[in-house]
Amino acid sequence: MYVLHYAPDNASLIVRLVLDGAGIPYETALVDRRLRQQDSAAFRALNPTGLIPVLSTPAGPISETGAILVWLADTHQLGPAPGHPDRPVFLKWMFFLSNTAHADLRTVFYPHQYAPAEAHRAHVEIMSARMLRHFALLETAALQHPGLFAAATPLGAYVLVLTRWAALYPEDGPRWFDLAHYPTLEALARAQEGRVETPVIARAEGLGAQPFTRPEQPNPPEGSVL
Amino acid sequence: MTLTLHHAPDFASTIVRFALEELELPHTLALADIDGGALASPEYRRVNPVGLIPALETEDGPIFETAAILLWLVDRTGRLGPGPTDPDRGAFLSWLFFTSNALHQAALAMFYPHRPAGEANSAAAQAAAQEQITARLGLIEAMLATQSPRWLSPDHPGVLGYYIGVLVRWLILLPPAPFGIRIDDFPRLNAVLAAHEARPAALRVAASDGLGPTPFTNPGN
Repeated sequence: MYVLHYAPDNASLIVRLVLDGAGIPYETALVDRRLRQQDSAAFRALNPTGLIPVLSTPAGPISETGAILVWLADTHQLGPAPGHPDRPVFLKWMFFLSNTAHADLRTVFYPHQYAPAEAHRAHVEIMSARMLRHFALLETAALQHPGLFAAATPLGAYVLVLTRWAALYPEDGPRWFDLAHYPTLEALARAQEGRVETPVIARAEGLGAQPFTRPEQPNPPEGSVL
Repeated sequence: MTLTLHHAPDFASTIVRFALEELELPHTLALADIDGGALASPEYRRVNPVGLIPALETEDGPIFETAAILLWLVDRTGRLGPGPTDPDRGAFLSWLFFTSNALHQAALAMFYPHRPAGEANSAAAQAAAQEQITARLGLIEAMLATQSPRWLSPDHPGVLGYYIGVLVRWLILLPPAPFGIRIDDFPRLNAVLAAHEARPAALRVAASDGLGPTPFTNPGN
């Protein structure tokens, strides 16, 4: 049985949407960020970077959201297999999501890791403008490849959770993202919310009634976002 | 397999070139005139809408993102990394994504320090990147000590060895003082990279791209 090491509204949410969407059984293990459990020896033994999520599997722990998604896709046939003509599309957008969209969005959430306090305003302005360009590319990719960017699929779930965070964070900063400017991604958000597992996940992580089309600050029943 | 690599010497496309040579896959190089704005042309944006190199044109269409190309090559050839059913696959994927989104990204922050918060904050951005780079290479070094993986080893060529090798090359060569790294601080990684750069395929790429005889461990040589 897989174990998803998670914290509410963290990147583990992406993996959860895919696991539940495919009906793959797993257990959850809360990483309590209020207690800084991501820095504990036990968690660092699973993932030395201390980042959430980790998926424990019979073949050992897997860290990095994109790595977990590719591994699940190949193990459970959730995406184009090696040799499939769509494999290049699947892999290039998976890495773009991971190393460009997700990585840049992370700098918007944690500006103190990337710029001094007096530069945070400039930092958020520059990075949010970059993020809007990334979302424009993803909107086009999703329009061209609707099957690969469907609800509950690895690419679909990944991009949707990034749109949710873009609408919510930084909590004290200016609002810079509007899903309505990306009609394909907005339709994807509605499709994800129409799936039976979505309200169950949203309750488990305190994400509200419309976690993607109308994101609100999470109010999780256990654990903490930061 | 008909392959065309969009390439400029000593850019990230060089990483893919090392893999293609190691796999002995016939391919054509399409040299990108970066200073001439080739990556912004409508023709190139049809290959890679992000406007970066590398991109590899394949019989299944174009693929971009360095690590995506490397993984695609591993999966198409069954070489230079564990395949989907290998028990090492999860760990390999974890460190491939880590190299792409953490080590490579921190290196870019070092080389383009105005990107996160403007020119006025370049020095602070470089200091932050330096700390991340040192920590992340330290995680790779510690992983090598505890796991001795076959997929990042002095005894077996692998895509990750070439990927990290080129990043280490840049991190030794490019950052202005006092930034940058010393490969001696990472002895296990040094051994992996020394073995990779000495391979015949690597020597061919180094000669062709003008990278010197020891492009990873002593790039100034």
